[in-house]
Amino acid sequence: MPRRQDINKILILGSGPIRIGQAAEFDFSGSQACRALRDDGFEVVLVNSNPATIQNDPEMADRIYIEPLLPEVVKRIMEMEKPDALLAGMGGQTALNIASALANDGTLEDLNVELIGCNLVSINEAEDRDQFKKTCEEIDLPVCKAIACDSIEEVLDAAEKLGGFPLLIRPAFTLGGLGGGTAFDTGQLVEIASQGILHSAIGQVLIEESILGWQEHEYEVMRDGSDNAIIVCTMENIDPMGVHTGESVVVAPQQTLSDRDHQMLRNASLKLIRRLNIMGGCNVQFAFEQSTGEYRVIEVNPRVSRSSALASKATGYPIARMAALIAVGYSLDELPNPITGEGTTAAFEPTLDYCVVKIPRWPFDKFRTADRQIGTSMKSTGEVMAIGRCFEEALLKAWASLEYGKPHPRPLTMADSSDGEDISERATESIPTAILEDWLRIPTDRRMGAIIESFRRGYSIEDVRDLTGGITRWFLHGFEKIAAIETEIRAAGELGIDPSEIPNDELRSWKGLGFSDLHIADALAGFPVAGFKSLPTDKDENAIRNRRHQLRIHPKYRMVDSCAAEFAAVTPYYYSTYEGGSVDSGIDFVPGLDEKQKQRIVVIGSGPIRIGQGIEFDYGCVHAAGAIQDLGHEAIIINNNPETVSTDFDTSDRLYFDPLSLESVSEILLREKANGILLQFGGQTAINLALPLSNSLPHLSQLGLNLSIEGTTPESIDEASDRERFEEFALRNGLRMPEGATATNPDGVRMAANEIGYPVLIRPSYVLGGRGMEILANYKQLESYMRDAYIAPEKPLLIDKYLGNAIELDVDAVCDGDEVLIGAIMEHLEEAGIHSGDSTCFIPPQNIPEEIISQVEDWTRIIGLKLGIRGCFNIQFAIHDGLLYVLEVNPRGSRTFPFVAKATGIPLARIAARISLGEKLTDLEIPSPQQDAVCVKAPVFPFIKLRGLDPAPGPEMKSTGEVMGSHKRASAAYLKARLATELPVPTEGGVYVTVKDEDKLSMIPLTKKLRSLGFNIFATKGTASVLRDSGDLEVNTCYRIAEGNSPDALDLMRQGEIQLIINTPRSSGGAILDGNMMRRLAVELNIPFVTTVAGAKMEVEAITEARKGLPEPRRLDISSL
Amino acid sequence: MSESQPLPSFSPGDGIRGVSDAPAFFDAADILQNSKVSRHSAKSPGILLLADGTRYEGFLFGAEKISKGELVFTTGMCGYQESLTDPSFAGQVLTFTYPLIGNYGIIPGISESSKIHPRGVVCRHQISHPDNRESVGSIHEFLVAHGVPGIEGIDTRSLTRRVREYGTLLCVFGPIEKEIELQRILNELTPPDKDDLVSQVTCTEETLLNEGAKDIEGNNLPRIAVIDCGIKYNILRKLCNRFEVIWCPANSTFEEIMEKWNPSAFFASNGPGDPAHPGLAATARKTLSSAIMNDMPVMGICLGHQLMGLNAGLKTYKLRYGHRGSNQPVMDLESGRIHITSQNHGFAVEDPIKGMLSPHPSGLISNIDEIPIEVDFKVRYVNSNDGTVEGLDLIGRPVFTIQFHPESCPGPHDASPLFDRFQELVSNHLINKSPIIQGGR
Repeated sequence: MPRRQDINKILILGSGPIRIGQAAEFDFSGSQACRALRDDGFEVVLVNSNPATIQNDPEMADRIYIEPLLPEVVKRIMEMEKPDALLAGMGGQTALNIASALANDGTLEDLNVELIGCNLVSINEAEDRDQFKKTCEEIDLPVCKAIACDSIEEVLDAAEKLGGFPLLIRPAFTLGGLGGGTAFDTGQLVEIASQGILHSAIGQVLIEESILGWQEHEYEVMRDGSDNAIIVCTMENIDPMGVHTGESVVVAPQQTLSDRDHQMLRNASLKLIRRLNIMGGCNVQFAFEQSTGEYRVIEVNPRVSRSSALASKATGYPIARMAALIAVGYSLDELPNPITGEGTTAAFEPTLDYCVVKIPRWPFDKFRTADRQIGTSMKSTGEVMAIGRCFEEALLKAWASLEYGKPHPRPLTMADSSDGEDISERATESIPTAILEDWLRIPTDRRMGAIIESFRRGYSIEDVRDLTGGITRWFLHGFEKIAAIETEIRAAGELGIDPSEIPNDELRSWKGLGFSDLHIADALAGFPVAGFKSLPTDKDENAIRNRRHQLRIHPKYRMVDSCAAEFAAVTPYYYSTYEGGSVDSGIDFVPGLDEKQKQRIVVIGSGPIRIGQGIEFDYGCVHAAGAIQDLGHEAIIINNNPETVSTDFDTSDRLYFDPLSLESVSEILLREKANGILLQFGGQTAINLALPLSNSLPHLSQLGLNLSIEGTTPESIDEASDRERFEEFALRNGLRMPEGATATNPDGVRMAANEIGYPVLIRPSYVLGGRGMEILANYKQLESYMRDAYIAPEKPLLIDKYLGNAIELDVDAVCDGDEVLIGAIMEHLEEAGIHSGDSTCFIPPQNIPEEIISQVEDWTRIIGLKLGIRGCFNIQFAIHDGLLYVLEVNPRGSRTFPFVAKATGIPLARIAARISLGEKLTDLEIPSPQQDAVCVKAPVFPFIKLRGLDPAPGPEMKSTGEVMGSHKRASAAYLKARLATELPVPTEGGVYVTVKDEDKLSMIPLTKKLRSLGFNIFATKGTASVLRDSGDLEVNTCYRIAEGNSPDALDLMRQGEIQLIINTPRSSGGAILDGNMMRRLAVELNIPFVTTVAGAKMEVEAITEARKGLPEPRRLDISSL
Repeated sequence: MSESQPLPSFSPGDGIRGVSDAPAFFDAADILQNSKVSRHSAKSPGILLLADGTRYEGFLFGAEKISKGELVFTTGMCGYQESLTDPSFAGQVLTFTYPLIGNYGIIPGISESSKIHPRGVVCRHQISHPDNRESVGSIHEFLVAHGVPGIEGIDTRSLTRRVREYGTLLCVFGPIEKEIELQRILNELTPPDKDDLVSQVTCTEETLLNEGAKDIEGNNLPRIAVIDCGIKYNILRKLCNRFEVIWCPANSTFEEIMEKWNPSAFFASNGPGDPAHPGLAATARKTLSSAIMNDMPVMGICLGHQLMGLNAGLKTYKLRYGHRGSNQPVMDLESGRIHITSQNHGFAVEDPIKGMLSPHPSGLISNIDEIPIEVDFKVRYVNSNDGTVEGLDLIGRPVFTIQFHPESCPGPHDASPLFDRFQELVSNHLINKSPIIQGGR
């Protein structure tokens, strides 16, 4: 079927802020869809609330709205824009829900907008569990067997029929699965089922067979309107059933199915997608029991998903692009195959000649108190992918990409069992067997390391299989092999073999299995307790690298071409492998590397999405690549995150999917004969490479590489990042800083804190996202902080005077050496002390006097020029008692770059990249900043997904993503941002107020306002009496939770009396626990809460604004550079 | 080597309605059922030499022998056992582009013949620790049992690119210390296409596989004669479900078969080598042309398709590097639908309009001086990657042919309804309906 001619303008819905379970993959799919449709002549209107995405850049869409993703907002935009069609399949569940709401209430029909690319009937059929089961049964596909029971007798009968434990018990019609569970014997079954029958509104439970421990397989399917259907990719999870596929380590293609078993699942996938009449991309999940060959259909995702992003990157097949084109009428055979180019079509199945491993990236390194167990709901924030020519190589490369602080598996010690930083003194104690076996048994982020450790200790494959509840032996062999090679290297080290003497064959074979130079060095030294960073220079990573280079061992670069080299491909997408073989065929295909007179500039990506390093940095990398191309050079991207736009093969001239380690980056630089490298855009990942890379330059230049680190020099980066050096700099240049000190041992910390005076702000140096940062009110808290903290000369702690109630400002700017361009000054809503990534901020500033603004501008210029910044930088200021302080300078692109670009229309990332490459600000036609609206950025938090994490912002960053609202009026802009966070903004009901003493008086005007809006006020005794006595307000008193009397806040919340909580947390006393429990429940009941006075004020303004009705959507009127 | 003789386990007629005593044949994996083969021990260095002078070092596994033949590659990611036992690989040295081969071991009952047909196996990693409920051994053990050598540790990707760019070429591999001898063998090696490969792989005697087979209503299934040019077992399985099948060697003539068995239709199988070879391929071709001229329904797969292309007056030619894998997209020009198909062939039938697409540098083209039979045909299927002919319909006759493998094994089952099409053609023909193949392209 040819392209539809009756559609011209298409509205595409994004997926909103980055959250756990819905991350950057939808920026990738949305961007592909935008590109594909615009290339084909369609006009694209894009709606997304997330300012950090590439998809809502002027390069991507014709008309852009950064607005809350709510049906009524989208409806209003459709009335304004009058699109012909709505494409909702690229924005995850968020977009589908909106589309479905607009279809059901008749809006789409009224506005004459056609929903394309997905069919609501099939979506409902796929997502309604019961309906889905029925559908599968109709077409003879096996689903989990289940029997509905009304009595215990029936339950026992059902257990017999289902043939053995474990069994799942699901009560019918209860909220949140209350009363359900897994039973491993009859006793448990009776117990859980009786509870279930009791809790069920209709006295019924469903007894279902358990498929725990079965293998999990996924099929990525594409189907067009002519019923052509193909399998793009198969994937096999290492973690057996029971762990969400997003939380599993996944391998592609599947490894352990025979062709017969594979075709059985392939046929089932195709049958299902045809029966459901899904067009575009979809994903089918199966459970497969290897010992019997039985399978069950688990579920279908009737749209592009995180799995399809992974499948796209694993195969090279652009699923989202094809799905978008299918939505506008094309069939697969009409679409050219973008990988092999001329002549071939998209109607084919990719075949791989490599192995892909994906590992989720969990936030437990930051959230030390969160429950680490992984299971059926997602907790990871992102993922990494690696490609190798064998499983072991891909696994170790993926491991090296995770950036958990351990780039390779090391023997587990008690330091690993602490919930946080290394505790050096415990690193000498090996981890006890009981703990090791727990880590094998209970799935957490630690399981992979535990598997390797168990093989180090001589466990058999069968032991580990049993302990892990059924991990497929084939994969365990891979882990065992890694442990065996590690032992081999250690043994060589014990024999006294020096890095310079490693025999050629051994080194080649170790490298071929994915061992990095660092891993080899560490193993050869017997994994010293002090860590791999303690290796002496003649035995470290560079020593191995020198030996390797002496033996001329370099990686080969293979193309991800979707056809196993059967056809000449044109995708400039590569991975490295150290596979052996005598022919040094090197890189597969580089279009005229030597002939072209172009400069080759490498951009370092930012790796997996994690707390503190999100999609904003990917945005920066994509723009950096664009800027390089603007200047007529070739842009090369290195990154390892499969969800992102930067790893789409048409974002750069060449893409390398590899770890962002010194070794793999250096080898790519050598292979590319790169002229320059940009480190400013990949967040801390890239900045951390600056010094090691600059130290390696002499070695690389001996090998013929003439590389310059573009932009700010590593020397200046160090001056900005090193606390002491920066203090000297500030002093020299007359910039005020909060009193502070650096300490490298516990006594130093104590002394510094006493000198500065409490409260102090304490944190480790050189980190992103405020890891381990806390405000300490007294020496007791200091001692407790130091029990967990790791302090060493190479890891000093910074102690600063905490500026209470200060206003914080963020500045993003670019400096070309002569001039400084200030992108924007942002005012934080929350006081300094709340991590800047977690605060709500305004452009332009709302409450800052003119003279302070001009001082901020002056200081920014001084810092840019005097520090020698070439490119971008970000400064955090605080205003305390009318005085300006510099808090920190980040000599790199910041998290707020995309927000600034979208608020002001100044494409800061692109400008910064061009400046880094030598252009001057005067050379560029920089648009003048937009001034017609106030823009607000608000954070989005993962509290609902992570138990054990206190749901209150603080100095450590906790948010996963952000949203933006813009409007002429600040309050309306704020309301939009608040709505975009997808927490309700109440317009009636009750407000619960409990604040610390110093905040009580400021609550009076706020509660008065709320009362006048008709809200009921609830408060605990202390707060209530202040409000009553000093404010003359009508307040309902309730008990504190700790008092154990009813009603307390929790009761009121459960009863639905409370729609908003204002709670400023006390940092000590019994109220801590109270506040924690209350916020936790608020998260679960989806009740908004504010934790600062400033936040409460804005919340009241937003409520006032909301009662006026929805603020009008605002189209972004920005252009590209 | 084996302690007790295994029982033959391939019996395509077994279990079919009306069949009481179906003959059984060996499945290539049967040999591993009761045997103990030494595990793969120390890595012994080997070398692979190509006719263009390239050499690749690796490690030997499988049987301790020198391997020589035409180097080809298959891109399937699983299904190595089916490929190894596919008779169409006779004369060839098979490279797997997927780097991990042997993951799920060797499984009885899924082989495509009684032995391993490639003369050698080239791969990146052979897996010595297979993991599957049904596995009876590793790929190494399988190769040893069948006397076929293998070489691993090869940079199969660069090897594949070489074959893609320069066409399939002759090769030899063996122990590295015998490099000089290997080079001499390579210099003297002649292309296997020159051998009568069909005679090496066809069956030896005519056998009725499912005597008395009946349909659901109790009627006898129509009887067909299958000309075995190197048939894959799964084709026999598929046919036995639909017909009473006489499995015939390629040297049986039309007259002999008609006289002895009186079948209602003919089927021409896949097989190795050049369709224009004057040996048994030519005999089979004549049998098929007689069947067509006698208005009988005929279906041809792969080599069978090429033989009928020759009969129809089209030339056949050697492809640059052929189609071998499980992901070949084929377009049905009638419906416009794409089937993802399983393929294994090095030769193709020319397109009557576009001619010979993707030819081998050797320029090997059929040279047959017989006058073709008078038939009208249309190209029904084309490969959507390179446009080569993938199937013909004979207009006005109950005859069609396909280059790809609807029986799959390995590979997707998209095209399996083509067996139903043949069944329908045969039954329509038997009740004197007009043939359903119409003209027009």
